[in-house]
Amino acid sequence: MIAEPAAWGPSGQTLPQRSLLSAGVLVLSGLALLPVLALVAFAAVDGGLDRLTLGHEGAAQIRNTLLLVASVGVLGAALGTATGWLTANCQFPGRRWLRIAQLLPLATPTYLLAATAIDLGSRLSWRVHGLGWAVAVLTLATYSYVFLLSTESFAVSGKRQLEACRSLGIGPWGSFRRVALPMALPAIGAGIALSGMEVVNELGAVELLGVPTLSSGILQRWQNQGDPQGAVALALVALVIVSLLVGAERLLRRRSRRWLLGSRGDRLAPWTLHGWRALVAQLLTALPPLATLGLPLLWTAMSWDQLQGESVAELAGLSGRTLLLALVAAGMTMAVGLVLAIARRWIPQPLIQQLTFVAGMGYAVPGTVLALALMLLGGPLGLSPLLLLLWGYSDRFLAVGKGGLDAGLERIPPSVDEAATGLGCSWIQVLGRVHLPLLRGPLLVGALLVFVDTVKELPLTFALRPFDFDTLAVRVYQYAGDERVGAALIPALLILALGLVASLALVPSLDETSS
Amino acid sequence: MSLQRLRLPARSCLALLLTAFAAVGCGGQQPRATEGDGGNRDLAGTEVGVYSGRHYNTDKELYREFTRRTGIKVNLLEAKDDALIERLRTEGQNTPADLLVLVDAARLDKATRMNLFQPSDSAELDKDVPANLRDSQGRWFGLTRRVRAAIVNPDQVDPSTIRTYADLANPALKGKLCLRNSKSVYNQSLVADQLIQRGNAATRDWVKGMVANTSQPFFTSDTPLARAVAKGDCGVGVVNTYYVARMLSGDNGAEDKTLASGLKVVFPDPAHVNISGAGVTRYASNPAGALRLLEFLASPTGGKGYAEANNEYPLTGYGDNALLKDFGTFRADDVSAEQMGAKNKEAVELMQANGWQ
Repeated sequence: MIAEPAAWGPSGQTLPQRSLLSAGVLVLSGLALLPVLALVAFAAVDGGLDRLTLGHEGAAQIRNTLLLVASVGVLGAALGTATGWLTANCQFPGRRWLRIAQLLPLATPTYLLAATAIDLGSRLSWRVHGLGWAVAVLTLATYSYVFLLSTESFAVSGKRQLEACRSLGIGPWGSFRRVALPMALPAIGAGIALSGMEVVNELGAVELLGVPTLSSGILQRWQNQGDPQGAVALALVALVIVSLLVGAERLLRRRSRRWLLGSRGDRLAPWTLHGWRALVAQLLTALPPLATLGLPLLWTAMSWDQLQGESVAELAGLSGRTLLLALVAAGMTMAVGLVLAIARRWIPQPLIQQLTFVAGMGYAVPGTVLALALMLLGGPLGLSPLLLLLWGYSDRFLAVGKGGLDAGLERIPPSVDEAATGLGCSWIQVLGRVHLPLLRGPLLVGALLVFVDTVKELPLTFALRPFDFDTLAVRVYQYAGDERVGAALIPALLILALGLVASLALVPSLDETSS
Repeated sequence: MSLQRLRLPARSCLALLLTAFAAVGCGGQQPRATEGDGGNRDLAGTEVGVYSGRHYNTDKELYREFTRRTGIKVNLLEAKDDALIERLRTEGQNTPADLLVLVDAARLDKATRMNLFQPSDSAELDKDVPANLRDSQGRWFGLTRRVRAAIVNPDQVDPSTIRTYADLANPALKGKLCLRNSKSVYNQSLVADQLIQRGNAATRDWVKGMVANTSQPFFTSDTPLARAVAKGDCGVGVVNTYYVARMLSGDNGAEDKTLASGLKVVFPDPAHVNISGAGVTRYASNPAGALRLLEFLASPTGGKGYAEANNEYPLTGYGDNALLKDFGTFRADDVSAEQMGAKNKEAVELMQANGWQ
């Protein structure tokens, strides 16, 4: 069965209800797009769009960004697919824990990974510097996206086909190569697209590793060179790249759904690996999370004698503010995402469909530029920095939170809505009694992803926070930027702890797709 | 664990969060002094908003000390200098910042050109801050001095061969020099300083010579560079002296302390001296309070704390820092911070055109 969500709406909807939802979409997508429009308008008014130029450096920054997206995409796809397949369809000692461990990289801020790699490297007389290291760091930091999507695909797809393979005597490798991989390709592609978006937006790690990219170029042009037109030109290039990635992700998810529907149900008994095969599987699944979490922990252990403690009250304040910001941002973002996802399902008008799509484009704008755009908007209106900050988070992470909701809604057949409305439910009742219970999983997963991202988020928080409102990430970045490792230790560990707790909360949803 | 069990009473949580958020976000809002207070009114009970490019806990202790002495509360926002400048510019008249603290002369000059400061007239500042370390129109004032010196590994290079910055371009150092990249504003100011002293052609040749001497890709920070020199991976490097002092103090751990003890700090003669400094913002709502804070930070008492926080040099003399005393004395060149800032753009273009990535 193939769902066609975009062209369907509950028959019980009355005109005012649709209008209300459409108005909600207009307002929310308007708020999401306003910063980008403000940027362009600012550049146009301030100096004329004819002055938009990429320049000599711009070409190198675009080249590096594309190289990073491609290299991290290929390596992340290999790593995420391998770990996804092994933990979903094979049985070996430690599999359950190693499956959970694939979520650990989500807890580690990329700039922390880069800073620790550089610091440890310089102690060992290694130069951790340049594109190769950036690819390694970003691959470790983002392969989990491919893992999360591919493992779900491997776990629920093609049971009958895999059974057929087994009955024909085809082993795990053959089954993987000939059946499971082709079926999972859309999911893997979607994971690559998500990691690509992270790569385009990455700022701290690439700056520390000395790789000029679009993100760092935008910041440099805007703030260091006082060239907002140049910054906007680069931001528009970033926007195009991320739009392509978002478009690819959506297309692939839709293809993935066509393959997957009708295949859910009983799980296939996993292949049991023994001997060296089990060992290879253990190594392959253990090394990435070990490296991701191990580097900061090793750094911590080796830097313990540099420890400079902040007062307990100071740390409690930093943690409390971080926690509050992340919780409120997660709640707000998921609420906005839910309205847009529901509208996308129920209102088939092309304009609404497009608006719900482009509302996720905030992900394309590097955090610092988004912050500056929000300042341009909020400054004249006298909006409070905290409000701007939450606006920025929702804008930035909407794509992360909404993706799961879209996918979740696509799995609910339209007949369910029809049955509910046929029984006299209004759309609010359909939402409350049918969709929300069924979307509990995607809502929780989305909120946790936004929570983790907000805890780690830097440029927006750095630029928009009000007086005396530092967060853990801000403090770590300031100290790391000042080359004061000891002072950064405890806040860094607290970020890791918060991220770990949130990542581990994703485990139940991972278990749902597991055996 | 099922997802069902994770469900929370959403409304209660939201209400609790919003209440807590309002409490955290709105805390500490006090009546602010109005514009045009002048310096005579009792400012106790007012607030001063500070945007600062410095990030040291000891700075906060200094602000608390100021509050104890004057009753003026200090609200602090620390961030990267360029981001603060941009924020101040976009906030315009709505800015809550009364004082802007920046690191490096070029950034002070940039904020001045963007008209973000207002002139301050203070006999105390004129007395405490040497003329070459403040703006000629009183828009900003230096607070600490920082020297960009050479560090030498004596096993690799004879320290006596480095007498001036020009010596770093000596072909004898081929393959032995390590430099931080051109994005470093400290290096930009060093090149600006040389442009003023030696002119365009000599500075260009000097940059080319140094680039030809480098043995590794340009570093993105000073501490790994200092480690590389100490380990003998490079023979000579150029860093701000406080990074070496920080390593020697043990703040970076025992390993760095041992490493740094093998480094020789060489002050080229004359030495390039940069500053961190501050000015009252153009749209300050409490300019009198900001000026009071500025005077405190520039005074021998406040300035001592500001400099010692980061092993920097005070505005005059060498201070009491034993680590800095061990480095010896230097003769500062006569380039003013104002001149240096004005040459920044030219310096960046020259570096990029001649291979200093």
